[in-house]
Amino acid sequence: MKRALVLLGFAAAAAAADPAMIERGKAEETRSCGGCHGVRITRTQRLSRGNWEKELDKMVRWGATIKDREAILEYLVATQGDDRPRPTPEISANGAR
Amino acid sequence: MRYLSRRQLLAAAAAMPAAAQSGSLTVPGKAPLIVHNDFPEDLESLPEYLASWITPTDKFFVRQHLPRPKIDAGAFRVNVGGMVSTPASLSVDDLRKLPQLTLAATLECAGNGRGNFQPRIPGLQWNKGAIGNAQWRGPKLKDVLARAGASAQAKYVDFDGADVPVGKVPEFIRSIPMRKAMLETTILALEMNGQPLPDLHGFPLRLIVPGWDGASWVKWVNSIQVQAQSNPGFYMATAYKYPKVAPAPGGAVKPEDMDVLEGMAVKSFFATPSPETKVKMGSTVRFAGIGWGGENRIARVDVSTDGGATWRPAALGKEDMAFAWRTFSFEWKAARPGYTVVCCRASDAAGRTQPIDAAWNPSGYLNNSVERLGIVVEG
Repeated sequence: MKRALVLLGFAAAAAAADPAMIERGKAEETRSCGGCHGVRITRTQRLSRGNWEKELDKMVRWGATIKDREAILEYLVATQGDDRPRPTPEISANGAR
Repeated sequence: MRYLSRRQLLAAAAAMPAAAQSGSLTVPGKAPLIVHNDFPEDLESLPEYLASWITPTDKFFVRQHLPRPKIDAGAFRVNVGGMVSTPASLSVDDLRKLPQLTLAATLECAGNGRGNFQPRIPGLQWNKGAIGNAQWRGPKLKDVLARAGASAQAKYVDFDGADVPVGKVPEFIRSIPMRKAMLETTILALEMNGQPLPDLHGFPLRLIVPGWDGASWVKWVNSIQVQAQSNPGFYMATAYKYPKVAPAPGGAVKPEDMDVLEGMAVKSFFATPSPETKVKMGSTVRFAGIGWGGENRIARVDVSTDGGATWRPAALGKEDMAFAWRTFSFEWKAARPGYTVVCCRASDAAGRTQPIDAAWNPSGYLNNSVERLGIVVEG
């Protein structure tokens, strides 16, 4: 039983890291989030799965239509999870006269 | 707290692949700033911009909840209603005809420093630059309220801007209690640093609530409603609240155990030099930074060049007043080789002093931890 659970755990991890799903999640983020706000606001964050779930819940309450929640969540956790290194800050170009 | 240096920031930005840089986002009217978001723009000042007493407008941070509105100054009106005897609709010219006050005040986002809390917290991951000090000019709020005949029984004033929510996002409406609204120093600014407010900073009208969190400083104000109670909407009932009792880091807090944020915490940081700066043994290093205490003036800033074991007073800037930050400087002779942790700690006139580590809270507000700046002394 224990061995089966361990194998199941590996399977889940493998599924979570599925590159196709992550690509799908990235596209879904652009589609479902990018119409209302820039996606930089997610890319500068590093959050736990639980916190990303809460953020998705909030955005749905605020009007987002997320068609592929599993993919978007796996994308956010894989690329912007709280175990990922802090992102490199982006500096804007000089727009002052 | 450990901060990235400008050199590290620029080197990292230069090393980023073109796709990730798509960026080199240019914001008209703004010097290079750290980009947290581009739509709407959320932009952070570089630490070195914060060494002077007044922060130039082009280097001043920007925080927007909603995309900013396009406003025709000629057609603009701010409506004053609610518990008033004579509802008013005031133009920019009407506001300019009232007595004007110029006031230096520091604006800081409640979540400044959120990115340095552990465990990590959702929201803009500000480092230390969601803060700036400017000269604001405009009529006093109390004069505008008097013009409309605000009721003496009213307890709060609500402010709404011309910005429009996207989707089902709640309206950004904030309330301040009448005791703050009626102070001589609470103004409706038409100008920032001697010029009309730029669009990004609330043109043509922004509420200035000195010493309070930036969320109270509503931009593009076109509605002022005098009320018996604080606004029941999301941005007063749920957001911008702080635990009455500190939870363990990462812990949850029930809504009824939170208070609305008001005055800001006492804090300080170094603007220069950058973290990890290399200096020669025997050289004199000049540290410059700011201290501020929300509604209180800064009484002292102390600096430690031994990781907090001993402290010495910094030299304070001559501008010394409530609501505006105070500059400080400190000279240190690098006498011994090695990695040296330099810290600064402010105390305000109300007797508050910075903690070593700010209390973790679920929204990541009021991070006033003592800064630890690493300096490398080369033998």
